[in-house]
Amino acid sequence: MITLRSSDGETFDLDEVVAVELQTIKNMMEDRCAESVIPVPNVEGKILAKVIEYCKKHVKRTAKAEEHALSDADLKAWDSDFIKLDQATLFDLIMAANYLDIKSLLDLLCQTVADMIKGKSPEEIRKIFNIKNDFTPEEEKEIRRENQWAFE
Amino acid sequence: MAGWSQLPKDLLLLIAQRLNTHFDLLSLRSVCSSWHAFIPYSLHPLPSRFPILPTNGTSWGLYLSRRRILHLRLPESHCQSTNSSWLIKVEEDVPDMAHLVNPLSTFQFRHFPPNFPKNFAFSRFRVSELGQEYVLQYMNHRPSGEADEGSLHKGKVTFSCTSNGDDFVMLTIHVSGKLAMFRHGNKKLTLIDDMSSPCDDLIFFNGEFYAVDNTGRTVVVAIGSPPVLSLVADSVSGGNKKSLVESNGELLMVDTYFDHVIHGIMERAVRFKVFKLDQIRRVWVEIENLGDQILFLGEKSTFSAVASEFCGCAGNCIYYTNSFFFPCGQEDDAYTGIGIFNLENGNMGPLSSFPDYAKVIWPPPAWVYTDNIRGV
Repeated sequence: MITLRSSDGETFDLDEVVAVELQTIKNMMEDRCAESVIPVPNVEGKILAKVIEYCKKHVKRTAKAEEHALSDADLKAWDSDFIKLDQATLFDLIMAANYLDIKSLLDLLCQTVADMIKGKSPEEIRKIFNIKNDFTPEEEKEIRRENQWAFE
Repeated sequence: MAGWSQLPKDLLLLIAQRLNTHFDLLSLRSVCSSWHAFIPYSLHPLPSRFPILPTNGTSWGLYLSRRRILHLRLPESHCQSTNSSWLIKVEEDVPDMAHLVNPLSTFQFRHFPPNFPKNFAFSRFRVSELGQEYVLQYMNHRPSGEADEGSLHKGKVTFSCTSNGDDFVMLTIHVSGKLAMFRHGNKKLTLIDDMSSPCDDLIFFNGEFYAVDNTGRTVVVAIGSPPVLSLVADSVSGGNKKSLVESNGELLMVDTYFDHVIHGIMERAVRFKVFKLDQIRRVWVEIENLGDQILFLGEKSTFSAVASEFCGCAGNCIYYTNSFFFPCGQEDDAYTGIGIFNLENGNMGPLSSFPDYAKVIWPPPAWVYTDNIRGV
């Protein structure tokens, strides 16, 4: 049993088989010996909860786990529900998945964001992700040039 | 509280890798200052126009021009009641200058409406790339007229290059009807002798080159020395000209039936049949209904669109080019040589008879140049 503690003091107990999905934690486990609680200072409790939820569902299937294993289609459906999140949570999750080094979660989140971006104008992307247009007048000029055609 | 503009570079690049069109990357670059710094200008390492032959810098030569077929739409917040679109084909020639070409033919648009902006800012819109078209042209030829006078020949060209542009392959249909290949570093085109009937069409699909001959027999061309052709589907009986088109992630073949075939000059298309590939049994299977899809069979390229996102009119139809529509002695205009075929009822006719389908091509919709949309 491994215990993780989030930046805001929440603790989460995980089976080792789930904990090793988080590569960063796996490395810490191999280095530390007697530590009972592993601090995760970069990640808030509610985000860590979501990360753990994902890892529990995606834990590598051993012979024992096979009985409870979800089919690929079920897992995909679960993933589609999982990513129905507001952009702020998505951002925090991406940062957490990166810090905790969970490749499959990072892939899923990056694909989700890419799908939100495809085909959209820059202004739309700013609105979706609540980003401010912070270009200097010089940069603005360059952007304008890149984004226009002078038809002959 | 950090926001998306503070996303670290390597994470932003992970996301950018999953965007596979030039315009999506451009949009991403145009969002904020840090993203602009992190994201490269272009996926495509090769410019829109670059020399193919010869390799020793003499005064003549061939260029390959790349044109993009784009679907422009208003961003969602601006949407009016109709699902208005503009379908264009753009050739980005010398830096900052572009040509607007009819998406299906080679007709160039020169006479824009009076208020049309001199510098057209496309970042105001949703831009989707529906396909690419490649044309071989003689060096020092600047595209000017309706027909591609500078073109080597009328054959279709398909092209593929590695992600860093250090190797490329071009496949084309030679005047003899044979397949011809050109690889980076070659001195001339290599003819491929293996197809028994003349080649009708080529396509680069799912990372491979496909070629179909006049009988419908379809092969995959594996690039090598020598190139190897593997059978993908047997011949079909029936029509006169086969075309390959990608639709909804699948490879389709369209068989065009002509009457009045006089040496390919006065051919009138009278019917179309559409086939889907059964990869396991290696046959083309006819499909009766395209559902929400619209197929476009242009002179030099084929592509498809989803009707509900495209023009708001019904799918299950084909835009096609037909020289039969060229009027005698009249000036070519935007709709010349283009027709619509409805798979549902077999109705067909020149584009001018189908205003809902014609208006996505020309004239440019008013929302494209009225000023109520802010720039980048």
